[in-house]
Amino acid sequence: MTPQRWSQIKGVFNGALERPAGERSAWLRSECGSDAALLAAAEQLLHSHDTLGGFLERPLEVDPEDLALASAPDAVDESAIWHTGDRVGEFEIIRQIGRGGMGVVYLATDRRLHRNVALKSLPSALANNTDLRERLKREARAAATITDSAVATVYSLEEVEGHLLLASEFIDGSTLRAVMDNGPMEVATVHAAALQIAQGLRAAHEAGVVHRDLKPENILLPPGGAKIVDFGIAWLDGPGLSRHTKLTRAGAMIGTPAYMAPEQLMGQQVDARTDIYAFGVLLAEMLSGRHPLSVSDAAPVERERSPEHEVLAGLLQRVADHCRQTAPAQRVQSARELVAMLEGLAGAADGSAPAVPRSATTARRRSRFWWEFHQAAAAVSYGAMLVPAWLARGEIGSIEGRGFFIATTCAAVVAAMLRLHLWFTSREHPADLVWARRRSAPWIRLADVLLVVSLVIGAGLVAAQSALDIVLLVLAVGAAVAFIVIEPSTARAAGLDDRRPS
Amino acid sequence: MPLVYDELRRIAARYMGRERPGQTLDATGLVNEAFVRLAAERTREFENRTHFLAIAALSMRQILVQRARAKRAVKRDAGGHQVTLNDVSAPPSAVRAGFGRADPDRPGDVDVLGLDAALTRLAAFDPEQAQIVELRYFGGLTVEETAEAVGVSPATVKRQWAMARAWLKQALEGA
Repeated sequence: MTPQRWSQIKGVFNGALERPAGERSAWLRSECGSDAALLAAAEQLLHSHDTLGGFLERPLEVDPEDLALASAPDAVDESAIWHTGDRVGEFEIIRQIGRGGMGVVYLATDRRLHRNVALKSLPSALANNTDLRERLKREARAAATITDSAVATVYSLEEVEGHLLLASEFIDGSTLRAVMDNGPMEVATVHAAALQIAQGLRAAHEAGVVHRDLKPENILLPPGGAKIVDFGIAWLDGPGLSRHTKLTRAGAMIGTPAYMAPEQLMGQQVDARTDIYAFGVLLAEMLSGRHPLSVSDAAPVERERSPEHEVLAGLLQRVADHCRQTAPAQRVQSARELVAMLEGLAGAADGSAPAVPRSATTARRRSRFWWEFHQAAAAVSYGAMLVPAWLARGEIGSIEGRGFFIATTCAAVVAAMLRLHLWFTSREHPADLVWARRRSAPWIRLADVLLVVSLVIGAGLVAAQSALDIVLLVLAVGAAVAFIVIEPSTARAAGLDDRRPS
Repeated sequence: MPLVYDELRRIAARYMGRERPGQTLDATGLVNEAFVRLAAERTREFENRTHFLAIAALSMRQILVQRARAKRAVKRDAGGHQVTLNDVSAPPSAVRAGFGRADPDRPGDVDVLGLDAALTRLAAFDPEQAQIVELRYFGGLTVEETAEAVGVSPATVKRQWAMARAWLKQALEGA
């Protein structure tokens, strides 16, 4: 059944149901014309509809025992279980390192290149499904182009003796799940890991790859770093879905419900922001040691935190909240933005976050200073502009003078206040800065434009009476240059803007 | 998979100790109880109730399909034969109603594995209908709740629901 054919059937099926029972078959016959197959399909469905009885009418009833006794799902393709020393194509198995819903993961040696790889056996059912195999190849190829230290590099997709094998970088470390199970993480460690994961996401998203199943099991923490694994194949996986189900449902619903964004859960369009949502859940879980939607009878283990760590934890929590918004448009919009937010927090953990790569964040902090300076300076000079505007009002006189002064004052006050707000946010709530900027940007832009226009008009009005027109024109040009040229470049330097100079 | 999944199982475990054997729980009650219990602890997290219900519906489907499979495997290992829909030789008592085989005496019962497979097929050409069935049947959502979760009007849900049921019935009967 193709979706096109199905929607044809749906059309006549629904059409027939809107008609009185007696007219249906005549209507159907005229509607389907010469398409006998369509007529038959619709008639069958209608017959089934008329004899539905109580079928599926009431929600499922479950025996509590069945629900309570359900165990961890998923069997593994037994023919793809190898032991130390086994040769699989060009690979020699060293040992089994993991076992997931999809298959077994081995540490193996690639005998051609003499390097160790993580070898994942993928369901053999894939080899027989042309569409899925093509998609897998496409995604693996895209994933192989991601180069970032926080993403496990995909080496190759191979087919050996009917088994599909994915070879990727071997990472010696525990999963984030295992680390979290050992108790709450240090705030500084959480920050460092979050930053690296965000950087990995940024690299992947820029390569056009969305992970779709980001979760603690897919993050490895080797010493001094964090690595995201399973880029390009995560869409195959999803605990609880059987191997068969997973594969056939791959397009419709994949992922781990606990980390799935609402749109993914609803089977709607998935994009980079779906990963941002999962990242938010991850981050919240790292901070508190438990999933944000979970309950447990035991009280959470509270970790003693220094005051600075308490502040940093609060800021990270805010970032997580911004990522976990229900509507994609309300979330942090890109991993690039996310990295900027997390880097902006480095100052809050001064001297206590040794794992955060310092060089990049120090440079960012210095540039952030210039951006903040620009905001503050612009706010002050907008205030100062009211003096010449007041003088010009006297010169112009009457209604026009008043109008000019009011327009200028309004624009200047709005622009100055919003800038002070950003300045304050940057200094006191760095986690909210990207957010605050996005919200106030259109208003600042509008106020700036109004101010320049009103200054130019004022210059025109006052030109006959005094030399003040020169002053007003110079101020207008200055303000325009400041917001068209200087501000974007300070924002870029501070890592707040995605746009590169063209 | 923590949380909703675990909560559903925890509630079921409590009922197991309390209810008469053989008594069943309906999906609506279960899912709503899970919601109320989880929401009581973490009020702020559940502003979006439909998001939660969708998770719960998916979890129910996963749990029950997995459980049905496990039961079938146990039966097979024990020397029994694989129970299918068309297998009329299996005595009705061989499998609990609702798992592995529909009980003809209880018209509301449906073979979970068969339904799961049919739903998977349906999802391939009409993901929205499959989603609606999952929410309505496995999650026990009302038409209005389903409409909100899927983002369509209640009238559309009703239309899609009727057609999906008709198709699934046909598919399960092997027509």
